[in-house]
Amino acid sequence: MKKQLTGLCLILMVGISACKKDNQEAIDTEYPVINVTGTTAFPKQCSTVKRGEKFLFQAQLSDNSQLGSVSVDIHHNFDHHTHSTEVESCAMDAIKTPVKPFLFIQSYSIPAESKSYEVKQEITVPSDIDAGDYHFMIRLTDKEGWQTIKGLSIKIAS
Amino acid sequence: MKKILLVHLLLFSCIWVSGQGLRLSGKITDGYRHDLSGVRISIHPVAAVVFTDTTGHFAFTGLPKGEYVLKAEQEGYRSQSRTIKLLADQQVELVLQEMHYQLKEVYVSNNHIKERKQSESMNIEVVNQDFIQRNLGGSLMSTLSRIPGIKTIGIGSGQSKPLIRGLGFNRVVVVDKGVKHEGQQWGADHGLELDQFAAGEVELIKGAASFLYGSDAIGGIINVKPAAVPRPHSIAGSVDLIGKINNNLFGTSVNLLGRSTHWFADGRFTYQNYGDYRVPADYVQVYNYQVNLFKNHIRNTAGNETGLHLNTGFVGERFRSLFYLSNLYSKSGFFANAHGLEPRNVPAEIYDASSRDVLKPSQQVNHFKLINRSAYRFGRHQLEMELGYQRNFRQEFSQYVNHGYMPPVYPDTMRIPVDLEREFNKQVYDLNLRDEIKLGKHRLTIGFNGAHQDNAINGWTFLVPAFKQTTAGAFAYDKFQLNERVLFHGAIRYDYGQIRMFKYTDWFESQIVEDRDTTSQKLVRADNLNRRFNSLVWSAGLNYNAGKFNLKANLGKSFRMPIAKELSANGVNYHYFSYERGDPSLAPEQSYQADLGLGWTEEKWSVQVSPFYNYFPNYIYLNPTAQHDYYYGAGNQVFQYAQSRVVRYGGEIQLKYHILKSLSAEFLGEYVYAKQLSGDKKGYTLPFSPPASALLNLTWSPELSEKLQNTYISVDYRLTAAQNNIVPPEKVSPGYSVINIQAGTKVSLGSQSLMISLQAQNVLNTRYLNHTSFYRLIELPEAGRNLILSLKVPFAIKKANN
Repeated sequence: MKKQLTGLCLILMVGISACKKDNQEAIDTEYPVINVTGTTAFPKQCSTVKRGEKFLFQAQLSDNSQLGSVSVDIHHNFDHHTHSTEVESCAMDAIKTPVKPFLFIQSYSIPAESKSYEVKQEITVPSDIDAGDYHFMIRLTDKEGWQTIKGLSIKIAS
Repeated sequence: MKKILLVHLLLFSCIWVSGQGLRLSGKITDGYRHDLSGVRISIHPVAAVVFTDTTGHFAFTGLPKGEYVLKAEQEGYRSQSRTIKLLADQQVELVLQEMHYQLKEVYVSNNHIKERKQSESMNIEVVNQDFIQRNLGGSLMSTLSRIPGIKTIGIGSGQSKPLIRGLGFNRVVVVDKGVKHEGQQWGADHGLELDQFAAGEVELIKGAASFLYGSDAIGGIINVKPAAVPRPHSIAGSVDLIGKINNNLFGTSVNLLGRSTHWFADGRFTYQNYGDYRVPADYVQVYNYQVNLFKNHIRNTAGNETGLHLNTGFVGERFRSLFYLSNLYSKSGFFANAHGLEPRNVPAEIYDASSRDVLKPSQQVNHFKLINRSAYRFGRHQLEMELGYQRNFRQEFSQYVNHGYMPPVYPDTMRIPVDLEREFNKQVYDLNLRDEIKLGKHRLTIGFNGAHQDNAINGWTFLVPAFKQTTAGAFAYDKFQLNERVLFHGAIRYDYGQIRMFKYTDWFESQIVEDRDTTSQKLVRADNLNRRFNSLVWSAGLNYNAGKFNLKANLGKSFRMPIAKELSANGVNYHYFSYERGDPSLAPEQSYQADLGLGWTEEKWSVQVSPFYNYFPNYIYLNPTAQHDYYYGAGNQVFQYAQSRVVRYGGEIQLKYHILKSLSAEFLGEYVYAKQLSGDKKGYTLPFSPPASALLNLTWSPELSEKLQNTYISVDYRLTAAQNNIVPPEKVSPGYSVINIQAGTKVSLGSQSLMISLQAQNVLNTRYLNHTSFYRLIELPEAGRNLILSLKVPFAIKKANN
């Protein structure tokens, strides 16, 4: 009996000590950063873009180890359903029902092993879409899967 | 049956005729000086049986001089035996102790639990209605979370799911009345459809126990047992009233039960209604969005629930057949600012007008159950069967929000209601068969479990396809009592399972860009899929009980079939703003676990240590990737199901010390460590890893007077460490300490008694984040100070001894 007990205890102790030996390599727990404060960054909170024209989406992205991917999602905010992540609030138009709202979803790859990257992408706003309040969402991940969201209120003018 | 009766009749008539022997008569009472009727009295070696009359009396006549063994047995009581040297007519009095009985001060004999613990090689905890009453939380699972090693994943104030040593969802099996409870276990956003007022006793097994219940029992088992059947010839009942300050809850549970000699009926009705719960915060950060709270209320988290139960059946000497019918309905709201494709703004004038209304987003769940449990005892055999039917119907309601290429305005040609975001309709058929055979020192159980599931879906969004699933398993489990001290356990089990998933195509067209050509088409989100699984698992263990010292050890392999969501998910999780994608090629998850339990019990103190070590060669987890989805996920981050090697270890410690006769102290500690050894998240922990925590308790149970019994005042001081060991998308949760106070007493006024229990939770209104809370990710603090008052009034219309 005693032998069995000792055996079991030994198995358990070996098991536990085996895990303790694992080298505690530091894991990344830092979120990537979206910076839209730079002078060239666009759009910013409350920016206006025009129907039928192109604009350049520009932002500074960075991470402590390695960036993943960035996605942009432009959708209408005619029902005032969202508020932005920014402190400053923008003047909003009255609530209205969408007829043909602009919808834009795109993800952009970032060169592998970048710690810092300036995204520059041309976005075309069609001429036949509803003008009004829109929401410009930037989602940035790093390689480990941490994600930062930035939501900007923008206006599409006719 | 008839034959036996005939034999007895003959026997008695023979004795009657002989008329010259001795008379052995007596009386049976319970521990409260009540006469017990209908108690089965057997006498050996004569092998005669009689039952006590309504005054608890019995008699055997015509007995020759000699030595006899008298045995008294009654449902719900511990059997008693007495050896009697019969030289002249004699009278005896036997007292039967109740095992547990709800109308008294819900008393569970410690021996019963102790015996259960000492004959089980896995770590097991047993709690009774008394514990539930004292620690009543928002749901049965949150009530149980006081037990070391048990945590919950909660959403709102009334819903939670169990987490055993950090494993939850489909890795914990909840057994209700002998049948595996099947709801939507995979989702964190709703609770278990169980009524805590209807639970009799709850048994928790911490550790892998697949050999008994098949797939899913990797993390442990929560076995919720119904209340004991009523005493013969009684009609009784109880009324529970409950009120909570934090979310202005009021509720009641009314129970009425009765039994003739063999037939019984037990009905219960429970209703609870609550408002939005309050937190010690003025605003919360939903990801990066600041949401202001109105009067500390978590907007739209009110709800209500109704439970209906009817238990009835036949309880005989050798045969019993019980039917359990229940229906649980609940409606509750989700925190309105954190549901949808992104954090949302809601019109405050509508949402803050009342703290009791349930607006969108909300959910409704209805769980219907019909179970038959039958048992038949003959010779060395105890045959048991459970037959079950369950229907879980869950609907999630939300305002239509187009995402991806959904039309901006919901088309009026759609047959799905505009606010029906999701619907799950699950029907489950269960059959369990067991035979427990006593063979000398062996107690062998062989059994079969079969289940069939039919899952339909509806709603304007998609996450998991409809599926059908059939599983079957057979097992053999032997307990071998080597000697008084040593008990060996060995089990082996084979399972087969099949899952068939059905194709789902979007109701709207998406734009596909291929080689610069843009086409519109309805996308297929999940294809037909047919997977088969089989698995062989085993378990071996031992108990060593020597006086003050006890040891238990167990080693076992468990498995889990991948669930439909892990195989075929393809949609947005509206709570986590993530896009979840299944992997149809996942293999069944396997787990190897070693458990140890060491205990020492002295008169004044006791200590129990239960460490475990667990290894998964292929743990299935939802991996947040660096990608974003373009079509289905509306630009959300892709979370992909994957498998990796995982190691987990930890344990619990329990110390009890009786400082004085009426004053006792307790220390409960728990710790779990998990680490992924391979895959994309190598080096990270598993999601929802509970931080280390300790609970210090001081209980004063004075004996005040005859009129005030079972009085207690108890203070819990829970210390929780910070959880710095996290995995995306989790956040580091700081440590905290919370004080809870429980007090209660039983007031006796004549023959009427009243049980009062009062709880003060989070006494200091501490603002803290629970790492395993569903709303942790959006920085929502836990509920603030709460006072809970509950009253229980038992009543007897017809007492068993009348």
